[in-house]
Amino acid sequence: MTHNKQGDDGFVSPEQSLQVYRAMQAGLSRRQALKMLGAAGIVAAGSGMWPGLSRGWAAQAQPEPKRGGRIRMAAHSSSSSESLDPAKGSTAIDYVRAYTFYNGLTRFNEQLEPQPALAETFESSDNGDRWVFTLRPEVTFHDGKSLTPQDVIYSIMRHKDPGVGSKVLSMVEQIGSIKALDDRRIEFNLTSPNIELPSILAISHLVIVPDGTTDFSKGIGTGPFKCQEFSPGVRSVAVRNESYWREGYPHLDAIEMVGISDESARVNALLSGDVQMINNLTGRNADRIKQGDGHRVKATNSGNYTDLIMRVDQQPGSRPEFVEAMKYLFDREQIKHVALRGYGEIANDQPIAPSSPYYFDGLPQREYDPERAAALLKKAGVSGARVPIVVSPAANYSEEMGQLLQQSAAQAGLNINLNRVPGDGYWSNHWMKHPLGFGNINARPTANILLSQFFASKAPWNESGWKNEQFDQLLVASRSEPDVAKRKQMYADMQTMIHNESGIGIPVFLSDVEGYDARIGGMDQTIPLGSFMGYMCAENIWWNA
Amino acid sequence: MSETHAMPHRRPGLSPHQASRRRMSQGSRLPIATPARRNKPRLKLTRWIGLSVFGAWVLIAIFGPLFSPYPMGAFVSDEIYGGMSAAHWLGTDYMGRDMLSRILTGARYTVGLAVVAALLSSLVGAGFGMLTVLLPRWLEEGIRRIFDTLISIPSKMMALVMVSAFGTSIPLLIIAAVLSYAPGAFRISHSLATNLATLEYVQVARTRGEGRFYIAAVEIMPNMIQSVLTDMGMRFVFIVLLLSGMSFLGLGVQPPAADLGSLVRENIGGLSQGALAVIAPALAIGTLTIGANLLIDSLSNSRGSQKE
Amino acid sequence: MRNTMPKLVLGRLSSSLLTLFLVSLVIFAITSLLPGDTAQQILGQFATPEQVAALRVELGLDQPALLRYWHWLSGFATGDLGMSASNGMAVSQLMNDRLPNSLLLAAITTAISVPVALLMGLVAAMRRGGNVDRVLNIVTLSMVAVPEFLVATIAVLIFAVHLGWLPALSYVSTVDNLGDFVRIYAMPVLTLCCVLIAQMARMTRAALIDQLDSAYIEMARLKGVPPMRRVLRHALPNAVGPIANAVALSLSYLLGGVIIVETIFNYPGIASLMVDAVSNRDLALVQACAMLFCGAYLILVMVADLCAILSNPRLRNR
Repeated sequence: MTHNKQGDDGFVSPEQSLQVYRAMQAGLSRRQALKMLGAAGIVAAGSGMWPGLSRGWAAQAQPEPKRGGRIRMAAHSSSSSESLDPAKGSTAIDYVRAYTFYNGLTRFNEQLEPQPALAETFESSDNGDRWVFTLRPEVTFHDGKSLTPQDVIYSIMRHKDPGVGSKVLSMVEQIGSIKALDDRRIEFNLTSPNIELPSILAISHLVIVPDGTTDFSKGIGTGPFKCQEFSPGVRSVAVRNESYWREGYPHLDAIEMVGISDESARVNALLSGDVQMINNLTGRNADRIKQGDGHRVKATNSGNYTDLIMRVDQQPGSRPEFVEAMKYLFDREQIKHVALRGYGEIANDQPIAPSSPYYFDGLPQREYDPERAAALLKKAGVSGARVPIVVSPAANYSEEMGQLLQQSAAQAGLNINLNRVPGDGYWSNHWMKHPLGFGNINARPTANILLSQFFASKAPWNESGWKNEQFDQLLVASRSEPDVAKRKQMYADMQTMIHNESGIGIPVFLSDVEGYDARIGGMDQTIPLGSFMGYMCAENIWWNA
Repeated sequence: MSETHAMPHRRPGLSPHQASRRRMSQGSRLPIATPARRNKPRLKLTRWIGLSVFGAWVLIAIFGPLFSPYPMGAFVSDEIYGGMSAAHWLGTDYMGRDMLSRILTGARYTVGLAVVAALLSSLVGAGFGMLTVLLPRWLEEGIRRIFDTLISIPSKMMALVMVSAFGTSIPLLIIAAVLSYAPGAFRISHSLATNLATLEYVQVARTRGEGRFYIAAVEIMPNMIQSVLTDMGMRFVFIVLLLSGMSFLGLGVQPPAADLGSLVRENIGGLSQGALAVIAPALAIGTLTIGANLLIDSLSNSRGSQKE
Repeated sequence: MRNTMPKLVLGRLSSSLLTLFLVSLVIFAITSLLPGDTAQQILGQFATPEQVAALRVELGLDQPALLRYWHWLSGFATGDLGMSASNGMAVSQLMNDRLPNSLLLAAITTAISVPVALLMGLVAAMRRGGNVDRVLNIVTLSMVAVPEFLVATIAVLIFAVHLGWLPALSYVSTVDNLGDFVRIYAMPVLTLCCVLIAQMARMTRAALIDQLDSAYIEMARLKGVPPMRRVLRHALPNAVGPIANAVALSLSYLLGGVIIVETIFNYPGIASLMVDAVSNRDLALVQACAMLFCGAYLILVMVADLCAILSNPRLRNR
């Protein structure tokens, strides 16, 4: 059977999206193109499933992009250790550069569905065990070399070499082998079926580099921009790739990227016109930017969260009543209002954001309930106790959340001591190593990746040490379940388990908040994966001046 | 963040061989109106101002928390960066907490820690500075090398290694501040003492067979006390600012408490709207450090005028 | 006397080498003590133990610590600064990109702050106790009492955001003419000058006043030497030693201590390189920066000490 995604609501098959895509290239708007397909149902399903996110493009015609112009964008972190090796990407600016200079086999659309990119088509003959990707013809790298299957094999398989230091080794491990079938077709064989492989191949780490590349300082890829200058920790300059395979793209002539770690400095640079786009804003500064006419703010919930980690294999997290009590002690409204200034979304102690197609909305919301928490704490035998919680600038908002939790826990007779540790080295030295602490998880491209990495019993980053066999079985089964309704039910069950049992408390989802110059066009597109339009802004925005 | 590559500050006061001439001239009682005498009224005024401002801060540090209208960590207002109001005299901070309460509590950390750390760094620095000139040459060289090495270690590294090795505590914060600032004090007092040690009366005392501590305390110390004190005043300022950087690295003051420097830092976002939340703690730091320096200035000056 | 000065300089230089060695040893020890290593920092939050172990082998971090120190030291002795472990570039290349920026900023700041500070100190000392002195005293104390990051942020808000006269970020690469140059350096230099001028002016005043208090100046006054001449010809030469020391110590801050200015104005200098290197546990880069800062400090202090010795001949025998 050919794995056919047509009919699954929420998925546009590769063939379909290719048609839409070609129609759009021919000058039609996306909406018109979809109509032409007779796929209005998809649009409706799509916008219904993505509340508040895709309304933009479904409701109004896209303004005409302008060609030309140069902008400067400033990301929140930048270090002399950064590199143009996509495998090593670790912060927003790295991901943006990866999508600027390179392309993946696939790319995400606004619904985070994988669309054809360097691969013209992709299909699985079974339920995700064996995949065939067909390369787009006549694509060349910035240095003139043509794209071949060898480049793809090299680009993906190099992640399995531990010496490369890839950030996504764990995701690539499921790829057993890759081989070229002919000069355009490539076959992926997985160690276990995964219908989400095309999504995985769309992430920024897995973009395609020329075969054999070891020196990445030139940023040679197939992407919309060429690298003119790259100076780690200082800046990079990207100039339009005139022979980009995607016709009509990119719109801008050049993009300069810098990092400004100090938030006030970043905001001031935007307001003074030195940069046109900044990310990682706190709500306080977002409100400040909104006050002016010349600048806008965009907030996206992409499922980024900061969570309270209660190790269930250590005291006091090993007492289920304690864990439950802590979850009742989150005054979620207050956290959203006071710490985030409204730039977030109330969460329900499970990691799948409402923007995900697998979000289970039937789960009752856990509310702030100090009396109930006090009773649970008493039952756990820890009322009146003094517990330390580790917070750090490394886990966004953990200091604020910790302080708010401290106040509300006092209502239930629990004394919390906050222990602030340096952001420097936090992830290797403190994260998951204390009985109670905070973590921060960025959006993952699919729900399955998220659950596999952070909640499976054997997951490398099973933050709370929570182990549940039934959960593990559901997780594996969901990867090869072709029926969407069944798959959704599986995800609903898994969310309920996490909500009830795991040692993770997720009070709110943090919005990615960006500020930008009002003259930047195309910002109504949203790819809910992270800041800077899911890191993919480079080829999607233009300059109205 | 104030990553403080240990900032050396030096305020060498008197050039010592001239001081000795002054000593010697004391016997001759030249009929001169010394500048110090001319300025007595002003000295009294600055001393009074310095004493009252600094004294007020010490009182706030001791008793302030008793008078704070709200608990320092309580979220009492919906308004962030609120202005002056009857409920919140100094407005509210970036999370809607009462600024007055936070400053009253924060002052305790800043005043206490900075006074202790400044005193200790000057004591350690100046003590070694004076003693080493009387030690055998090789030992003096060795101690100088150690202090030069200490001054060359970035304090961020020092703070990080201390946190990871010993955890976090207030005494540790003081030790880190002393390690960062004692080397500067050492260099100043050492170079002053080197000058002094070459002078006749010190040489005489040595040939008399006086002990090292006696010479340091009686012959050298009084002739450099002004510079040491004034240097301590500057050091006090820098330690006040260093504390917030160290707290940020997790060394010392833990949330929800915050020292004055951290209060400025955490509310810096309100600067563009002129929020009291950033102005008030900045003014607090300003008055505290200026008061302390005026007091110290007047102390050293008054010693000078007593001598005449 | 002609023979003693070169001998002194030579002696100081050789003991400086010893200090440099000690510093490198301590930095190495601290880096080894700090939790986490380059491999962990490179792989970040989501690293698996196997990956870390493999990368350690790749980077040579599995070798014994002393051996690694020896490799670094022998390389350093022959002028090879090694490779940055965190991004694979040569340390000399990284330093090369940024050191000129830092030196330029330091030079401009020095050229402005030192004369201004000396002048302020001189005037304050001459008008001691007067209104000018009092005002200068309060001004310098206020300058030093405002946190540097606050000064910088206020400057940006006023000159870049509200008035729009100056750029909020300082890019060295966009300098085309003198106007650009002034616009770019105005705010960073202003911020640095605030701290440095206050420090140096206070020290200059103090050193001069100590001289003016002394008996020989009183004698000169009684003899009728005019005040200007008393300060410039009699007091100043004797205060050169202390002042030079003060200036040297303040200036040594200009290379490694300007991290706040580099961060807020996004100025690519050497201080932020060092801070990044510490976070990345990038030993070769940390060492190179530390050697640079320590070397600069030692040279400045040596020059100041030479000035002191020239002004006090007794010290030559020590």
